[in-house]
Parts: sequence; C-alpha cells; structure tokens
Amino acid sequence: MNDDAWTNDAQRFLDGDGDPPADADERARAGRFAAEVAMYAADLDVPSADLDARVLAAVRARAARRAWWRWFVRPHRLVIRPALAAAAAVVLVVLSAGVARMIGPGAPPVPAPSASGSDGVLVRFEFVAPAAHRVSLAGSFNGWNDSTLTFSHGTQAGVWTVTVALPPGEYQYLFVVDGERWIPDPTAHAQVKDEFGQTNSLLVVGPRGVVRS
Amino acid sequence: MRSLLVVCGLVLGLGPGPAVAQDRDVRRELAARGAPSAFIGPVGMLVDRARLEGLPAAPLADKALEGWAKRVPPDRVAGALEQMRMRLVEARAIAVQAGVTDPPGVMVAAGAEALGRGLGADEIGTLIRSARTPEQGAIGLQVAASLAAQGLARNAAVAAVRHAYERDGGQDLFELPSALADLSGQGVSMADVAQRIMRGGGLPIPPMAGRGSGRPGNVPPGPGGRAGPKSGRRR
Repeated sequence: MNDDAWTNDAQRFLDGDGDPPADADERARAGRFAAEVAMYAADLDVPSADLDARVLAAVRARAARRAWWRWFVRPHRLVIRPALAAAAAVVLVVLSAGVARMIGPGAPPVPAPSASGSDGVLVRFEFVAPAAHRVSLAGSFNGWNDSTLTFSHGTQAGVWTVTVALPPGEYQYLFVVDGERWIPDPTAHAQVKDEFGQTNSLLVVGPRGVVRS
Repeated sequence: MRSLLVVCGLVLGLGPGPAVAQDRDVRRELAARGAPSAFIGPVGMLVDRARLEGLPAAPLADKALEGWAKRVPPDRVAGALEQMRMRLVEARAIAVQAGVTDPPGVMVAAGAEALGRGLGADEIGTLIRSARTPEQGAIGLQVAASLAAQGLARNAAVAAVRHAYERDGGQDLFELPSALADLSGQGVSMADVAQRIMRGGGLPIPPMAGRGSGRPGNVPPGPGGRAGPKSGRRR
C-alpha cells in the first residue's frame, strides 16, 4: 500500500463517518493526516458573512443587464399619437437646424468677430453715406459675408457705425452699400490689391487697439 | 410618453442633424452661399491640389469666398487662386531655404502675402531667420508687408520688424502699423520714418497704445468723427 492509499475503515474515519481504523499503524497515519488537515484549515480565510448576498446581487445585476439588451433586440408594437409625435419632431428639427447654423459650413473661417462683443479688441468702423439704405461690413474676419455685420445709424445724419470685437491680427475688408457697391475704408491703414483688379482696405489690430491714418 | 421618446430617437438617429466639426470644406461653404457648380468645381480642384501639395488651403478658400461674394467671374477667381498657389509654393521654398525644415501653414501663407505685396525673397528669408519662433516669423512677415503697404520703404519695414523682435520679443509687432499711422498723422514723412528706423530707432509705439496706458485698445474711437483721414483715430 502506498502512502496515499487508505483502507475503507480509514476513509470512513477521515470522512467523519466511522470509528478509527483497527490497525494501529493505519490509525496513527490517519490521525496524523487528520491533524495536518486541521492545521491547514486553521490557516484558511473564513468567507465573510455577506458572501451569499453579494453573489446573489451580482447574478441579479447581470440578469438585469441582459434583460435591458433583450428589450432592444425583441420586436415591439409601436403606438404613436400623431399630434405629440409631430410636436416632438418640430422641436428637434428646429434645435438641430440652430446648432447646424452655429457650427456648420457657413461659419466664418477665422475667429468670428462679434458686433460690440467682449472678445478681442473693439474696433469701430464709421462710414458716411447719407443716401444709403443699408451698409454692412464684409472682410476676412467674417468670410466676406455681407450679411453678418450690419452698420447702424450714428448720432449724425448719414453717418453709419458698427463696432466689432476683433482678435489682434491683420484684416482686409470693404464696406458694402445697399448690397451692391463695395467701397474701401479711407481711414484704413492701407489699400491693397485684391487679386481681382480691385482694392481691399487693410487694418492691423494690435492688442492695445488701432490708430488709423 | 413612449411614443414621444421613440420619435425623438428616430429624428436624432435618422435626420440630417448638425454637421460635425471637420476640416474646412470650401465646396460646402460656397454651396451654402449659393455658388453654382460652375464656380465651385474649378475652385474646389485648385484648393484640393494645394492641399495635396502640402500647402495651406485656408488662404485659397478665403480668396474663393471673397471672389464669390464680390461676384467675380469664375475664370478670374481661378486665375487669382492659381497665382496665390504659386506664391505659396515659392514662400515655402524660401522658408525652407531660411532654415525652417517644415514651415507651418501660417508662415507659408504670410510669406505668400508678403511676396504679393512686393517683398523680396531675401527680405522674407531675413525676417524668418531673425524670428525666435516660426509663429513670430509669420507675424513679422504679415506686419512687414503691412508697413510696406502703408508706404514705408521695404528695407525700413524689415528693419522695423527686426527691431521689434529684439526690443520686446516681438510682443508689439501688431502695434507697428498703428505706430506708423500715428507718425504719419503727426505729419512725419515716410522718408523721415524710414531714416529713423534705419538709424536703429525702430518704430516708437504711440503712448496711447503703449505700455502703462491701461486698456485703451478696448475703447472704440470717440463719437463725432467722420470717415476720412484721422476720423477713426483712437482718442
């Protein structure tokens, strides 16, 4: 018999089901083995009292996640109230269009100037045009869009003004009168060729402001 | 309530939705402004070509938008863009020759603008070599080109920028055109200004735009002025 083999009597004894083996050697060997097992068992960590509860909670959570996913893959019957659905759709389309206008392709390519805003250096543009019905400012700061920066009447008759917040930098621009005539600003730092056979006004905005000619 | 949520989901998921942030697309910008395909096609191809060549596309896109806004004929816009593209190529070569192995787009664009305003390759190279950083070099090029456009001799414009590089690390570069306008407004001739600069004096920053003057830059010019010389001068 090798060291790992036990008689039936010894096996029952070690399982706690019978008396010690009759054979003295077998009894002594089983006793040593039982003592070693008891010693190892003493070193084992005893599971905490809430182990069962934690295992069950984890199983339930996993089952809940599966149920959530199943809801999406399972077919459902859809009931729509037309009035409510239409109202929701209108609200979302309006919101979507508003956001698109803010960040979409029509956005200016350079840091957007803001009329009388607080970002950048405030620069006032002034133009005398008594006969004009509408005057706007178009330039490299607003993608040459003649509808975003509109002048308003100044305190004097025929004088149009707009104040724009511009980050320091160099800008080319023109005044647009009645949406048709593109006119240079005589107070700009310089007039430069626009590559199309006309001229643009040039203004360099410093961090501390602008002194014009 | 469930139907409301479902409709919201459908609209958000299937509707056009807002455009996501992306590289600038001159075709879309022109289309949004109502430009026809006959205008957009040639312009888009030129911008694409520049992009493929590693050139900054923004100056070309800006010029295309400007041309459309001014209702310039498409062939004329395409011609102007091609000229700009060639200047961008030349400006990049000058920057590389000046020691900037991979010049940033802003520097290439500023160099091309300077070439367009008459600055020579040697002057542009000097400004790039004198700058402490590529970004400072780009601003220096812009400002030198502006000073030249204001009527200052080119060598004086370059000297003024180099003086500003050394004087305060280039912090006042964007103030130089206002400084020149201020001197001009006082009746000082461009020749006298150039002489002063070439003697090493640089361009004096006017007191109202200088240090210790609070934040006058955020104050627009006072009311009562009229368009014309000095009308927009800050008070």
